[in-house]
Amino acid sequence: MRAKRSLLYVLIPLAVGFAACDKVTMPYEPVQGGGPGPEGVVRKVLLEDCTGHRCNNCPAAAAQAQLLQSIHGENLVVVAVHCIDGFAAPLAPIGDNVLDSDHRAVPEGAAIEDHFDITFLPAGLVNRVAYNNILQLSDGDWGAAVGTMIGQPTPFHLWFDTLSYGGGTVSTVVKLALLSPVTGDHNLVVALTEDHVIDWQINVDSVPPEMPNYDHRHMLRRNLNGTWGVPAVVGSAQTGDTLTFPYSGVALTNVLNADNCALVAYVYNTTTDEVMQVEERKFQP
Amino acid sequence: MRPDHRSFLALALLLPALAHGQATPEVHGNFSADGQYYNADPDIGAVPPAQQFGANAWGNVIFSMGNFQAGMRLESYEPALLGYPAGQPYKGSGIGYRYISYKLADLEVTAGNFYEQFGQGLIFRSYEERYLGVDNAMDGVRVRYKPVQGVYVKGVIGRQRLGFDDGTTKGEGLVRGVDGEVSISELDSAWTRSWNLIVGGSFVSKYQASQTQLVTLPNDSVLSLILPENIGAWSGRINFTSPHWNIYSEYANKINDPNSKNNYIYKPGQGLLVNATYSTKGLGVSLGAHSYDNMFFQSQRNAPTPFDLNINYLVPLTKQHTYNLPATLYPYATQPNGEVSYQAEVFYKFKKGSLLGGKYGTKIALNACTAMGLDSTAVDLNTDSTRTGYRSSLFAADMSLEGKYFTDLNVELRKRISENWEFALSYLYLEYDIDVIQGKPGKPLVYADIVILEGLHNFNDRTSLRFELQHLNTKQDQGNWATGVAELTFSPHWFLAAQDQYNYVTFSDTFLQDGKTPVAPQRLHYPIGSVGYIRGGNRFQVNYGRQRAGIFCVGGVCRQVPAANGLTVSITSTF
Repeated sequence: MRAKRSLLYVLIPLAVGFAACDKVTMPYEPVQGGGPGPEGVVRKVLLEDCTGHRCNNCPAAAAQAQLLQSIHGENLVVVAVHCIDGFAAPLAPIGDNVLDSDHRAVPEGAAIEDHFDITFLPAGLVNRVAYNNILQLSDGDWGAAVGTMIGQPTPFHLWFDTLSYGGGTVSTVVKLALLSPVTGDHNLVVALTEDHVIDWQINVDSVPPEMPNYDHRHMLRRNLNGTWGVPAVVGSAQTGDTLTFPYSGVALTNVLNADNCALVAYVYNTTTDEVMQVEERKFQP
Repeated sequence: MRPDHRSFLALALLLPALAHGQATPEVHGNFSADGQYYNADPDIGAVPPAQQFGANAWGNVIFSMGNFQAGMRLESYEPALLGYPAGQPYKGSGIGYRYISYKLADLEVTAGNFYEQFGQGLIFRSYEERYLGVDNAMDGVRVRYKPVQGVYVKGVIGRQRLGFDDGTTKGEGLVRGVDGEVSISELDSAWTRSWNLIVGGSFVSKYQASQTQLVTLPNDSVLSLILPENIGAWSGRINFTSPHWNIYSEYANKINDPNSKNNYIYKPGQGLLVNATYSTKGLGVSLGAHSYDNMFFQSQRNAPTPFDLNINYLVPLTKQHTYNLPATLYPYATQPNGEVSYQAEVFYKFKKGSLLGGKYGTKIALNACTAMGLDSTAVDLNTDSTRTGYRSSLFAADMSLEGKYFTDLNVELRKRISENWEFALSYLYLEYDIDVIQGKPGKPLVYADIVILEGLHNFNDRTSLRFELQHLNTKQDQGNWATGVAELTFSPHWFLAAQDQYNYVTFSDTFLQDGKTPVAPQRLHYPIGSVGYIRGGNRFQVNYGRQRAGIFCVGGVCRQVPAANGLTVSITSTF
């Protein structure tokens, strides 16, 4: 009798606990393609895909970034930041033409790695904002994190007024207009990326895993105005304030094919690091 | 100071005064600090951080008064040592752990942080491995209750530690669990205390709000998943003990838990482990088997690394070596997504005076363990409306070469040959799937032979010398390694140690790496010297030397442990 009663003490809490289960029988619904973002000025999102040519799980993350871009269109800007020496440094022996390239932007890649504590790959920064208390997001969380910010109203209207390139240099004028008052210090960064760099990559999903002709997307080459950019808003700014940032004759460092390049401009809060607005302009639309 | 910390301190000061005016208060604690100054060392690829110096430190303070107890741990990472922790970054200084607990009759309540485990942890284990940088402490409430002697009930609810940024950061997911255990010998007087049967059961559920989750099918179409928000797991266990036998078995089952580690499939997970040990004077025998299938269980479905926010702990069955080469080059890690593992171990002591025992006796330990992948049949995700992923059965192992994860056959002979000399001779044969275990795709199975000689010489009652000579031979991965260790102890205060790891790959002019790529052989030494001083509850140690680099991958996510060269200072203290 005592044993039976004792068993009840154990079984009752267990039985109550079983209520806390969600059994899903139809686990998905199809996605109806992508498309352009909403009309007007809305918040775009910067996804910094931290990656490396020796990171065997990074190609899957890059594919996830492409998938999200196919859904969100131009409202999602992707920059691939090659970082962490063990994943991104050239692989010895140098000279055998296998993983010999160095795709790390210097000093921007290491600075991002250090400042945002990138200790594993693949990892992504979505507007440099934590999602579920995590800043360095695995690619599985990128979509949800992007969804929390993309298309929201924004006071920052950012655009490339002019862009020209040739002779190994690029010149541009970036403009920033405030659609409503802004407080807090904000910097503007203009970054140079190169798309479709065909080179070696280790890929766990490939047989053999060493891929000589992998298509590297959106590779960060350098910043035009320093690792952390230049001040755009100091203290506060008022509606209608318009700022102009001209850059002339900046070298296309490490670029293999200028026609595949793009400039990415973004404004971020220097206190919180949060990217508030981002804009991309391809050299060849 | 954060508001919750202020509230906690107020409670910690107030409650004992209200509850136990007569009891004697006690304060205990401990402290540990590890600091390292980094040098650049191009030969091994060591790059110092911008700060040049890293420091991990923590201190526990525990206040107890009668049935009341309160404690906290202050932690500091200014900045964290390179490669630490295993998962999310730790930085800054602050409170990493705090709790109050109270015990009244058969009820014990803990509020704040706590570590807890149900059974062997197949569905719930909250624990820390401080020097690995793994800590999934719960923050919430735990209740333990003993309604009658021999019946034990536990309940927990809370969120788990994720990282550290001037204080603990927590994961989003909520973890709830109950556990019950009945000890028959305490209930039924027909059972003696030396013969016992313990049965138990647990239920654990996690909650995380749903979110947009897109997946791409092999045919390139894209799905938006409908995610379960409440995910439950249950387990049952039985443990029989007698003076010579200990037999334990536990089974666990988890419902659909799509997450980044299992490619968002909805297949239920399950695990079963069985261990049996027999021991008598001079003889010990241990047999074990387990199988895990889709048992990653983290409180956030997209936890960044396999080290973060684990709710459960899957017990490894393979032998955990302590000698440097087998422990640091080719350690096995449980594969939660699918594994079948077996282990057998025999200890025997030849008696003093026998032919093999000699004057002082001889100990021999034989161990064999193996781990294999599950034999599974993929289900086409393009057409599978339930997104099951694959079909499999527990203990149905993939017996092919590709399915072999790990084999370890080892023998250790330990013998004292005189009043002053003792030796241990070990041989290990390893087969190691570096592709699966460390995530190095395309790399062939590593076959390694390791021989280790350990010696201990006591010069007198206060001075002793311990040394190790180790050699690892393999044609795969990084080739051959040799290690020498010497530790000179001057009791009770001082010790000196020196160690060198030598990766000489081969003595030939070229090394056929992985049996297919000729490379110029590297020959590198990794020497480390140490000196230590112990007095009372304080221990000081200084090391100087090289630490080799490595990339460790688990479950598809990799972490770099960078090469380092520099000075390390460690202090530990207890009071």
